[in-house]
Amino acid sequence: MIADWSHQIVLTASILSWFIIGAGLAQTAIYLLQLIVAAYALSMRPPVARSALLWHRYGDVAPPIALLVPAYNEALNVVESVHSMLALEYPNFEVIVINDGSKDDTLQRLIDAFRLVKFHRPYEEELAHQPIRGLYSSPMTERLFVVDKENGGKADAQNAGINVCRAPVFCVIDGDSILEPDALMRAAQPFIDDPERTIAVGGTIRIANGSTIEAGRVREVHLPWRLLPLLQVVEYLRAFLMARLAWSRINTLMLVSGAFGMFRRAEVVAVGGFTKGSMGEDLDLVIKLHRHMRDTKRKYRIQFVPEPVCWTEAPETLSVLARQRTRWQRGALECFFRYRSMLFNPRYGRVGFLGFGHILIVDVLGPVAEVLGYILIPAFWLLGILSGEYLLAFTSLVFTYGVCVSVCSLVLEEAELQRFPRARDLAVLTAVAVIENFGYRQLNNFWRVKGWWQFLRGNQGWGEMTRTGLGGAKK
Amino acid sequence: MWYVWDLSILLGALSIAIMLILILRRVLQERRGTANADQRRQLLTALIAFTENRDREALKAAILAVPAGVAINAGFEFLSLLRGAEHDDVLAAFKECGMPARVGRQLERGNVAERIHAAEMLAALDSEDASARLLSALAEDRSREVRIAAAIALSDLGSLPLLDFVLDNIGVAGQRSRRVIELFRRFPRTRFNELAVHASRADGVPVVRAAAIEALARAGGFGFADFFASLAGDASPEVAAAALRALGLTGHADAPSILASAMASDDLDVRADAADAAGRLGLSELAATLAGLMDDEVWTVRYAAANTLRSFGQPGEKMLRAMAASDVSRSQRTASLILAEGPAT
Repeated sequence: MIADWSHQIVLTASILSWFIIGAGLAQTAIYLLQLIVAAYALSMRPPVARSALLWHRYGDVAPPIALLVPAYNEALNVVESVHSMLALEYPNFEVIVINDGSKDDTLQRLIDAFRLVKFHRPYEEELAHQPIRGLYSSPMTERLFVVDKENGGKADAQNAGINVCRAPVFCVIDGDSILEPDALMRAAQPFIDDPERTIAVGGTIRIANGSTIEAGRVREVHLPWRLLPLLQVVEYLRAFLMARLAWSRINTLMLVSGAFGMFRRAEVVAVGGFTKGSMGEDLDLVIKLHRHMRDTKRKYRIQFVPEPVCWTEAPETLSVLARQRTRWQRGALECFFRYRSMLFNPRYGRVGFLGFGHILIVDVLGPVAEVLGYILIPAFWLLGILSGEYLLAFTSLVFTYGVCVSVCSLVLEEAELQRFPRARDLAVLTAVAVIENFGYRQLNNFWRVKGWWQFLRGNQGWGEMTRTGLGGAKK
Repeated sequence: MWYVWDLSILLGALSIAIMLILILRRVLQERRGTANADQRRQLLTALIAFTENRDREALKAAILAVPAGVAINAGFEFLSLLRGAEHDDVLAAFKECGMPARVGRQLERGNVAERIHAAEMLAALDSEDASARLLSALAEDRSREVRIAAAIALSDLGSLPLLDFVLDNIGVAGQRSRRVIELFRRFPRTRFNELAVHASRADGVPVVRAAAIEALARAGGFGFADFFASLAGDASPEVAAAALRALGLTGHADAPSILASAMASDDLDVRADAADAAGRLGLSELAATLAGLMDDEVWTVRYAAANTLRSFGQPGEKMLRAMAASDVSRSQRTASLILAEGPAT
């Protein structure tokens, strides 16, 4: 009887171990593939031209762009953000701020700062959204429009903005983010170089905590002073400069961040705009675009361009970061299961195999396997099923591989952007790339498993994202 | 077992080595960057001084005292701010210092961004061998962006080869770039017929044909009105729409009938552009046809038709008001919206 139980336990342990090892190996292979493809993509990209040259070169042929800025309770930053957006270096653009039924005085601050007056602007309700209470224009600048609408969430606000805008290309940006002055010009480049096929372009999101910000511009780039945002800096570098660059190269980019993404309006309207109530509305939209273009058998490109940079505020407390990460996890799972028919479906080609395969391994199975590994591998060792030598050797390999991947993303950052001005910053980031493997990585996976749990329970809340605001000097 | 340890030690050592190299490289870059910024400042100061004292020898000494890359970039930026005799004098100093030859080498050996920039600088420096170097880049460079930049630079120098040759060298993928529009906008006026021939080629890339029509309309004037009229019914909607936009700029005796027929097209862009052109030309005799378009299934077409009706003044507004007061329909809603456009009262 005891022998039977013991046999059962060993069998279960073996199966679980193989699941954990399999998922780990698959993730490792994906990261390796990303690194190789990203390095190749970077070697094939022309180095960055100066902003003045871009203007000289593309100023006359750049397409009109509408900048859509959903704002919900953004009274703290909104005026400064809008000022900085109006000062962007782009020949033909308008800023449409969508006040999504804010409970604070976001709208009133805009009215006061820009002397807004009510305005009638004809538009077609091509996408559904909560009722618009009023449109405002400013006598100070013809580039600014404000849409005041009832609360419906970020996707709802973005859909309202898409309806109201008239430009063939729109750019979504978070109300609390800061675009670099030449970001629009750089992000618009694929729409100039390949206007027929390009339907969406994503840029790089960077963390502004710790940097000096004046008048809605990042004047001096510094690393964050606190550990939590510092850890996120390395994380963002990995996500943007490695993963997105690689997937973009092979046209399987599955995510154009909602914090800064540019889209061709006609295609977004054709797929019904952003999905309301979605936890990952940006991921959802890009998947819909892939599906639509593949279904209609049209040639298209969804690109990531590393040079345009959007600065954002990263959570500085564990509780806020936990809410953000569980929400991201729920968003990924929601999209994966909503569009599961695309997974490994030959009709969707590499999007179905590589793009969805990546979501399956990294977002769906990854966190579960890793957390199971944290719990079960030491347990097996304690039970004597696993030898101590193996435990130590593989643990060391997992950590050094993690460090190596982070270091490689720092190499990509150095080769492409070099936004951190001092050599000392690189040394700090190297240390962070090591430190993040001891605690932060595990915590992140725990939050993602929590996201899984919330997804299974049908929890649809966004949670409060407490902001301290980027307006001040060093923080 | 040991190979697992070996592998992790190797990965760890590799990571540390890579980061040390990166940090060292960055330290060197910081030093070089500071030095370059100082030298650039020195040269710009010398350039400003030259515009006052015209001491060419002093300027040449300043140019030769800084690295060629710094001199070329600062010089190009400064030259773009100057006009007339001042521009020519500074240009002469740069030529005497052998800068065009260095830029020429950059066009051959630099990375893609440097080669594009070199093509632009060669056009600005206007040296004797600039055209030959640019022609070689147009024919041989492996990057289409560089080939387009070379073509634009050749156009600026007045040495652009035959358009067919240029487009063949740019390649089909390159022709889809909006930069081709830039090339056509700078096209020599004396050779507009080449653009017209290309625009009328049924086997041409529609984007390129449309860009050629747009360039002709912007600079060619009424002389091409018959040509635009002949392309308004082209099989490619993109070309037809461009021809209608051009007609809206130049006008034509048969414009009313051409636009009326275009308003019945299957393509929404053609219908919208026809409505728009009618407004530009003030063809109020098309009011009834435009009123029909107010019921179009596509908003952009309805909006263009409504805008045009409004642009006709009182008669158009009267029609819109009548529509706005009628039973609920697409045209009624569009008319109401367009009449309400503007500051709320």
